[in-house]
Amino acid sequence: MKKLKFYLRIYFKILSQDIKSRMSYRSDFIISMIGMVFTNVVEIAAFYITFLNFPSVCGWTYYEMLFLYGFSLIALTPMQCLFENNWNLSRNVHRGDFIKYCFRPINIFFYYFSEIFDIKGLGQLAIGIGTLIFAWNKLQLPVSLIIILELLIALIVASLFFIGIMNFTAAVSFFLVNTGFLIGTMSKFRDYAKYPVTIFSKGFRFIFTFIIPIAFIAYYPSLVIMRPNEIPVLTWLAPVFGVVFFYLSYKFWMLGARKYSGTGT
Amino acid sequence: MDKSESIIYLKDVMKEFKILNRHEGLKGSFRDMFSRDYKTIKAVNQVSLEIAPGEIVGYLGPNGAGKSTTIKMMTGVLEPTSGEIYVNGKVPYKNREANAQNIGVVFGQRSQLWWALPLVESFKILKDIYRISDKDYKDMLELYGSMIDMSALYSKPVRQMSLGQRTLSDILAAFLHNPAVVFLDEPTIGLDVSMKAKIRNLISSLNQEKNTTVILTTHDMGDVDALCKRIIIIDKGTMLYDNHIENLRSFFGAYRTLKLNLNKRHEEVTEKVQTENLKKVRELLTEKFAQATFTYDTDEEWVSILIDESQVPLMKVLSFLQEQLKIYDVRLEEISTESVIKKIYENNENSEK
Repeated sequence: MKKLKFYLRIYFKILSQDIKSRMSYRSDFIISMIGMVFTNVVEIAAFYITFLNFPSVCGWTYYEMLFLYGFSLIALTPMQCLFENNWNLSRNVHRGDFIKYCFRPINIFFYYFSEIFDIKGLGQLAIGIGTLIFAWNKLQLPVSLIIILELLIALIVASLFFIGIMNFTAAVSFFLVNTGFLIGTMSKFRDYAKYPVTIFSKGFRFIFTFIIPIAFIAYYPSLVIMRPNEIPVLTWLAPVFGVVFFYLSYKFWMLGARKYSGTGT
Repeated sequence: MDKSESIIYLKDVMKEFKILNRHEGLKGSFRDMFSRDYKTIKAVNQVSLEIAPGEIVGYLGPNGAGKSTTIKMMTGVLEPTSGEIYVNGKVPYKNREANAQNIGVVFGQRSQLWWALPLVESFKILKDIYRISDKDYKDMLELYGSMIDMSALYSKPVRQMSLGQRTLSDILAAFLHNPAVVFLDEPTIGLDVSMKAKIRNLISSLNQEKNTTVILTTHDMGDVDALCKRIIIIDKGTMLYDNHIENLRSFFGAYRTLKLNLNKRHEEVTEKVQTENLKKVRELLTEKFAQATFTYDTDEEWVSILIDESQVPLMKVLSFLQEQLKIYDVRLEEISTESVIKKIYENNENSEK
């Protein structure tokens, strides 16, 4: 507990300093905000246009799809804000810069990710929340304290899965040379997370559930709220899976970090 | 000295790496993908050393000699294949975090500070990470203020600093939590003369003030001459020398350099003339002192001869040459640390052949 307080204190100190200095690059901040908003608006428009032609996809209505979309945007935010440095891991390892994270008397995983906080992720979070509330309203889903609590748990679980996937992917660069492209490829998969896994063929459904578990980023957790009458077993298991999956990704990452320091400068 | 007295204690430390035997060409690299053809190399081989608190030790060796590997083992980042390591009485690899609390590390051109933050903010974060008390922190900053002009650094973001300022900041950051040992890896690389002097002064005053042990790896003999009383030389993983720097000069015999100017004053000295002079000197000496070996060199108007006085006294060489040649000017030079170390590396090369 004391240790947690210690780490939180350091994290918020670095975070507040980082945001302060980041704000000083105002134009960079504004331009990337605009870019991010634009991307999402176009994507929602594409959704809309598709559904103008089809009333539903595999039994999923437009607003249900929108609900999933909003849910996934929120679930992706913690990865983008807090674990952004996964994107730089391959380069850091390749250039030998990673060694500098090994000399502090704190956890390497923590220290590495504390270095960067991507504030742009907060814009995505805002769009996600907006979309979710809009879809929620249109679907006339009930609201209660329990349901909000369920939503929060579902979102946390979904985030854990996505962060876990990215940890695993990034950590590969500890073991193999030049795997920078991998994380880009893997993050493309998250686009599929926005769709209900039932629209995919059996093979992909299996892959997206058990191999690259992106179905857990939005589909399974969000069913709790969206279709509370037909919750599959996997949804109930998701919290356990999520924690275990994240923990394994952490272990894998740390194993890589240890192995890395063995190679030259 | 025994384990309990020394701050750093290494006994028969060895580190092996497995390296894939690579094959040539496209076909070869394809084969490598499936190959299990590894060879084991000893990056560090049977190194033993003990360092007392407060020493500044120069840890030298050519590139790839095993310096970084040793440092990484002492900082707890790397586990030795065999042998014992104690830093501050602890085994670094088993207690990486605890060990890190008691050491400071500066890796030449890689700043460990937060790139976007002003130095003072980085310091405040380090204060939290290393749990430095308010008083110690304040005292340390006062000490820094008395040693260098901090006002130019204090509120400047690290990314806006010059290389020299950044190195200076990194060194200050490494000493901030008053560690028992500081590892400095090429702290003066790429810096101008005055900045080098500034950094050497800073290291030396911090060492004296705080009695911090400093392990310095460098290729700059200026650093060594200015800071280290003791040096350790390693090459191909094996320790070649561990002694007082004063003894270094006699380590490979008593070397001295005799410099001769064989040209008339105000005469233009061309490279061709110098080559001629060198040839003449070489012929004379080879004939007269067949049993001795000399190392020759030329620079500007000088022809220099490196003489091992255990083989033949320098004065004897000089008086012989004086009879044979017209000498316009003479200089005697003690061999520089740099030349001795070069000699040590070369001898090691030769002994392996």
